[in-house]
Amino acid sequence: MERNIQKIGLVNLWVLLAGASASFVLARLSASFAGQTASVFIGLGFLIAAVSYFQMRLEARERLERLEFDELSKSRGGSALFATEEAELFAARRAREQFERFIVPAFTVFLFLLQAGGAFLLWRWLEKSSSVKLTEPLVAMALFGLFALVLFLLGKYSAGIARLEGQRLLRPGASYLLLGAYLCFVVVASVAAVEAGFPRVDLYAARALCVLLALNALETMVNLVLEIYRPRVKGQQARLLYESRLVGLLSQPEGLITTAAQALDYQFGFKVSETWFYRFLEKALAWLILLQLGALLLSTCFIFMEPGQEGLLERFGRPVEGRQVLQPGAHLKFPWPIDRVIRYGTQQIQSFNVGFIPDPEKEKESTVLWTVPHYKEEFNLLVASRDSEAPVATTGPEQAVPVSLLTVSIPVHYQISDVKAWATNYSDAGQLLEKVATREVVRYLVGVDLNEVMSTARQQTAEVLRQRIQDRANELNLGVKILFVGLQDIHPPVKVAPYYEAVVAAMQEKEARILEAQAYSSNQVPVAAAKAKRKVLEAEAYRARKVPLAEAQKARFTNQMAAYEASPTVFSARSYFQTMAQGASESRKYILAATNTQDVLNVNLEDKIYKELMDAAAGLSTPGAK
Amino acid sequence: MKQSTLSVLVGFLLVIIFGLLLFAYQVRQTEVAVVTTFGKPTNDRTAPGLYWKMPWPIQKVYKFDKRIQNFEEDKFEETFTSDKKNLLVRVYAGWRIIEPRIFLQRFANGSVQEAERTLEGLIRTEKNATVGKHPFSHFISPNENDVKLVEIEQEILKSVQERAKGNYGVEVTFLGIKKLGLPESITQKVFDRMKAERDRLVQEYKGQGESQSIIIRATADRERDGILAQGDADAMRIRGPGDAEAAKYYSVFEKAPELALYLLGLNALHEILKERSTLILDQRTPPFNLLTAKPEAPAKK
Repeated sequence: MERNIQKIGLVNLWVLLAGASASFVLARLSASFAGQTASVFIGLGFLIAAVSYFQMRLEARERLERLEFDELSKSRGGSALFATEEAELFAARRAREQFERFIVPAFTVFLFLLQAGGAFLLWRWLEKSSSVKLTEPLVAMALFGLFALVLFLLGKYSAGIARLEGQRLLRPGASYLLLGAYLCFVVVASVAAVEAGFPRVDLYAARALCVLLALNALETMVNLVLEIYRPRVKGQQARLLYESRLVGLLSQPEGLITTAAQALDYQFGFKVSETWFYRFLEKALAWLILLQLGALLLSTCFIFMEPGQEGLLERFGRPVEGRQVLQPGAHLKFPWPIDRVIRYGTQQIQSFNVGFIPDPEKEKESTVLWTVPHYKEEFNLLVASRDSEAPVATTGPEQAVPVSLLTVSIPVHYQISDVKAWATNYSDAGQLLEKVATREVVRYLVGVDLNEVMSTARQQTAEVLRQRIQDRANELNLGVKILFVGLQDIHPPVKVAPYYEAVVAAMQEKEARILEAQAYSSNQVPVAAAKAKRKVLEAEAYRARKVPLAEAQKARFTNQMAAYEASPTVFSARSYFQTMAQGASESRKYILAATNTQDVLNVNLEDKIYKELMDAAAGLSTPGAK
Repeated sequence: MKQSTLSVLVGFLLVIIFGLLLFAYQVRQTEVAVVTTFGKPTNDRTAPGLYWKMPWPIQKVYKFDKRIQNFEEDKFEETFTSDKKNLLVRVYAGWRIIEPRIFLQRFANGSVQEAERTLEGLIRTEKNATVGKHPFSHFISPNENDVKLVEIEQEILKSVQERAKGNYGVEVTFLGIKKLGLPESITQKVFDRMKAERDRLVQEYKGQGESQSIIIRATADRERDGILAQGDADAMRIRGPGDAEAAKYYSVFEKAPELALYLLGLNALHEILKERSTLILDQRTPPFNLLTAKPEAPAKK
């Protein structure tokens, strides 16, 4: 039996070595981060299994030595042999003790350094690695799965033997075999996740294993510290210093369940672990899990296509005759991976934008102005310009060209009209449709005038573009129906837009000037007509007044002539004084009464002389003034 | 017993699954596959279905997408037209694998990225060569008939197809011009020109406004002056007969012309003094001469 245990230990040792090497090579070839990290664990398991195997051999030698000594002591009782030193008699025991005293702690320190250093270096390496690109993922899954199976079966067997026969030295190797098996399953799952479209799962799994390695290192360090203060009782077998409780727990999780059952027993006060339900669960759990997996696989036989969806049914990659396209509703199919359905939202309206990249923040703005950028990025598209048809014929980078620049934002809405064509003709039909639409917009703009497309041709542009995109999509057999092409925005680039607004302002100014002139005209002509009419009427009044007045003057002069002949002097003086008195009554008068004619008098006629002032100053300030 | 049955069952299932993963593979309707035996291509699988193979590393399966793949040039490249104008052109192209075995041999592990890089180099060369044969007006012109974009695309495609034929295991199926542009310095000049055009229009509209305003005002002035002149003429015509008729009565003034003139003078003086006027008189002006002389009546003769 003893030889058997050693053989198992040796097999464990070599299997761990083979597993570590093979998983590392496979993980490198398939570029799996999780695989490479898992191989580090299996490698460490090999080292631990090697040490425990060596210790196992020493203990075996010691037992043999003891047997030999017992045999000899029975056959030669009291001979000289017993006179020799004990150390010389039990060389194997001494070797084992020396090994446990020096080699095991030294190895444990070395193990701690390996674990801590490994965790640190792996973490740094994983930090630098961002993208996961697996090669031969199916092969990796298959081989890691096989490794897991082999490690699991051997690990289970070794763990069973170790438990049943109390072989503590077999336990560390068995634990690492089981842990290696579980880690290989983790690698298989992470590779499957990468294949299912979650490329970072492999990286996350590797990081989780890295954390586990760091925890393992921490545990080893704690074990080392505790070992110093451990009370040493003679005859009591010490726990293996390099054996990890964490690894033991992870590799044999059933221990956890047993602990939980014991806790329940204690909590409820009766043996929960002995109830029929618990026992049933204990026995049937594995079958239930298997059944669950079976149900999961069976569920892949049912397909429910949602409203607006169509699916392509493939059997071993081939389209299924007569059922190639599945319509909305329930469908039956063979389980995965025999049959596979790829869904497409054929009735759903899909859209993309040409000419701009939307900005969710700016979309909240309620006013859209040409002079303010309203998208994350707006592309300047070339458009022909009739205004500059005569280009300046210069060469070099500064040459003039008959073009203008335009910013457009064109949303395109479409539906998948032929799901088979959409899915099987092009690797990325959606992206191609965007390119086709952009190409048609570019092609349209280079052949039309800037001002036309922004004004009169704007309405027809959208329809022309829709038709052109549809024609090109049909030509390429994209299997789409273009529903809508909108000219949401079409304007000159932001840098030039203020100048376009200035033109509109100038047009308004022009209209204002014309209206002002028309207002002037509307005022002047009727006023002139009125003035002319007034002149005519005044002339008529003049004529009506002139003749009778002349007649009256004639009569008066005749009378004045008689008076004059009667007294020429008095008539003249009277007439004069009468005229002065009546005529100058309202005039302002300055009478110079000074006799000294050599004086120069300055009179400021600009000043308004108030009556009151005149009254107050009369006869004081201005001589002769009245 | 039950436990061991379960273990055997699970083990058997796992062996089946992992065995299938190693010995079988599927080719989907959108794929083609090349099987290599110890690195040598031995089988092409162009039809979809389930196939068997020897496990890796004896046989290895390379799967490729057989649908048309499209890619776009990374670079928006400046080039020269035949009439020496700078232009930036970016194209996109569609290609597909027609000979998977050659494709696998030409590009490391059948790398699509490497194939697209190679095709991009090919397309760039042919694109620049073709653009150099055409004048600028073939790319952009207000006269749609001058624009030859489709023809240019076809020319580039034809050249690329000829170059790629038989060499890469792929076929370039279509090609389109996705973007046209101008170098930054020229773009700035285009902006300047567009601004100048707009400025010209601004001045034009302002000039038109000014011009029409002046014309309207002048027309109004002319009409006003005409109306006023007509009014003056009519008034004058109306006054004439009145004056003529009144003149008949003025013959009486000829009987004593001195008196008539004296009275007319006084009349005029009266009319003038009626307005607000300022008189500066000296003491000799009658009747202000009375201010200096003793006011006494002249002696009776």
